[in-house]
Amino acid sequence: MTWKTKSTATPDATTILRGLVSKKRVPLGSEIYNRILETLYDEAAALDERRIDDWIAMIAQDIIYQAPIRLTRTGPNRDRDVMRTMFHFDENYDSLMMRSGRLQKSAWAEDPPSRCRRFVTNVRIGECETPGEYEVVSYLFLERSRGDSPDNERTTAERRDIWRDVDGEYKLARREIIVDQSVLGMSNFAVFL
Amino acid sequence: MLQKSKLVLRDGTSLDDLIMRDSNEVSLRVMTDEELYKLEMEKIFAKTWLLLGHESEIPEIGDFIVRDMAEDNVIVARGPDGDVHVSLNVCPHRGMRVCLGEAGNKRVHQCIYHGWAFRPNGDFIGAPVEREKMHGNDVDKKTLGLKKARVHLYGGLIFATWDVDGPSFDEFLGDSKYYMDQLFCRTDSGLELLGPPQRFVLPCNWKVPGEQSGSDGFHTLTLHRSLMEGGVMGGTAESIYDQAPGMYGVDISCKQGHSLRCLEAEKTFKMFADVPFEGKSTRERLELLTPPGITKEMIPELFKNLSEDQVNQLATIPPQVGGLFPNVLIAFIFAPRTDGGSSGALTLHTYMPKGPDRVEFTNYIFAEKDAPEQMKRDMLQNSIWNTGTSGVIEQDDADVWPVIMKNARGAVSKGVTLKYKALHGHERPEGWVGEGLLYPGFTKDDTQWNWWLAYYDLMDAV
Ligand code: FES
Ligand SMILES: [Fe+2]
Repeated sequence: MTWKTKSTATPDATTILRGLVSKKRVPLGSEIYNRILETLYDEAAALDERRIDDWIAMIAQDIIYQAPIRLTRTGPNRDRDVMRTMFHFDENYDSLMMRSGRLQKSAWAEDPPSRCRRFVTNVRIGECETPGEYEVVSYLFLERSRGDSPDNERTTAERRDIWRDVDGEYKLARREIIVDQSVLGMSNFAVFL
Repeated sequence: MLQKSKLVLRDGTSLDDLIMRDSNEVSLRVMTDEELYKLEMEKIFAKTWLLLGHESEIPEIGDFIVRDMAEDNVIVARGPDGDVHVSLNVCPHRGMRVCLGEAGNKRVHQCIYHGWAFRPNGDFIGAPVEREKMHGNDVDKKTLGLKKARVHLYGGLIFATWDVDGPSFDEFLGDSKYYMDQLFCRTDSGLELLGPPQRFVLPCNWKVPGEQSGSDGFHTLTLHRSLMEGGVMGGTAESIYDQAPGMYGVDISCKQGHSLRCLEAEKTFKMFADVPFEGKSTRERLELLTPPGITKEMIPELFKNLSEDQVNQLATIPPQVGGLFPNVLIAFIFAPRTDGGSSGALTLHTYMPKGPDRVEFTNYIFAEKDAPEQMKRDMLQNSIWNTGTSGVIEQDDADVWPVIMKNARGAVSKGVTLKYKALHGHERPEGWVGEGLLYPGFTKDDTQWNWWLAYYDLMDAV
């Protein structure tokens, strides 16, 4: 990926939220759809149950994992609100390993750990150009209970993934997390989305 | 004897009961008191210089961003004159927000309620149906502009204050300017903001992160011990407190409450421990280890924009972390990467009050404008990995602050005091050139105590 800094005031077309791009839909209820849906549920369970190594095992080595900033915009630019110049997460495989390694040591942000529920819905799947790769768009609703607070922290997002069939298992190769809040109500993203 | 403060809260508590200058303590109650909060908004946030962003965000005429000065929302716009203007985003007609987006480009800002229109500099243009004079029968249009703040650009950073006749920006910086210049005014093209800031809200008072921004170096050893465990800083998990990496340096501050921790890279980070710095000239040192964000090609620019003494300092014991009173944290740090490189991380945070028990953490991530694109990309990642919403360093800070806040509510707990008694006292290290209050050696409470004294001064002022 080449990097070009861009003006925030006058956004270009890269700031439009594109949901599912692929025209070759994988129909709901088909074998592949079901297997990928299962994978998404397994992934959420691995994270919710804090089996971080199991989660890392679901990730491809060439992963790009990003959560761009959302902005509030008006007028002709109202749909140009996904700022892919700045991120809450901007990860590769090494940095995800670094984060997961830290979680096993002194990561006070998750020690005591928060109790999370990841609700994954609205799953739409399409075939990518590369055979064996699937574009998977899902909604994520994260409820996070911390300490003795009776009020959960929460966030909602759309996830635009690419899952790759590797020897009969699906590996996450790309994830773009489009959070809905321009100002996050969660004190940190010490958990994965 | 210290003079008694004239500030007394309704229940008879005086500022001296909260900020105890004779014993170097601060009552935890300062974090929750609503009356105190209201006074802070008037005496500090409506008075002093506040950071709102960087001019690289609004390069073209008509470009604007919307930011907060505490709970006052403002439009930061570049006018046809090329200057940056800051005006209150409150329509003088009936109080609606004039700008509802966070960024864009407009020559005319029209309020969506009744249509009053304003220029980027806040001047009133007119109301719809001009012939009916809906702005008022005998009212001079000049009086109907948006309220304008006083603006100062420093190294491209946009600062504003409502105190039109108050101290100049240079007076505000005071003795810290010599050191701040080494971070913000060192290259020909200056800094560039890499994208809109990360923004998130924490359930705590602004002073909980605020006092830490007064250069709390000590917490790094414990709260950020994952840095040592991860092998980033010198030492190992077992020897953290013996070796105390990153603790020894020179802390500087000034009576305005700003501070910086100046640290030798080779004594702070494992990867630089063996770099042969002995007996090297300033230029040679800079070649061996360029300051965070700087490329070898930019080294001549340092000599051009800074004094020789300032460059010497950058080459030996550069300022790396600190803060600007009241609510800016500075982190211009060497950030060794997991893949072995280091191009640094340059970030500023503002902690904007949003009520007595809410603060917005706004994280601005920078690079030098003339840095190669790949380096900007690396620095963006370094900053995101370490700071802000998901940063592995600041995740832990964001975990602590709301808990302190919870404690501050207890009837008994609120009487607990924050202690700033580990003091070194001003001491000028041999051969040190810059001015200011200087604290060489192990990082102590001095700079944070100065932060509270600056707070006291503004709160005590009539
Ligand atoms: S409130 Fe803005 S035009 Fe009436
Ligand atoms: Fe910290």
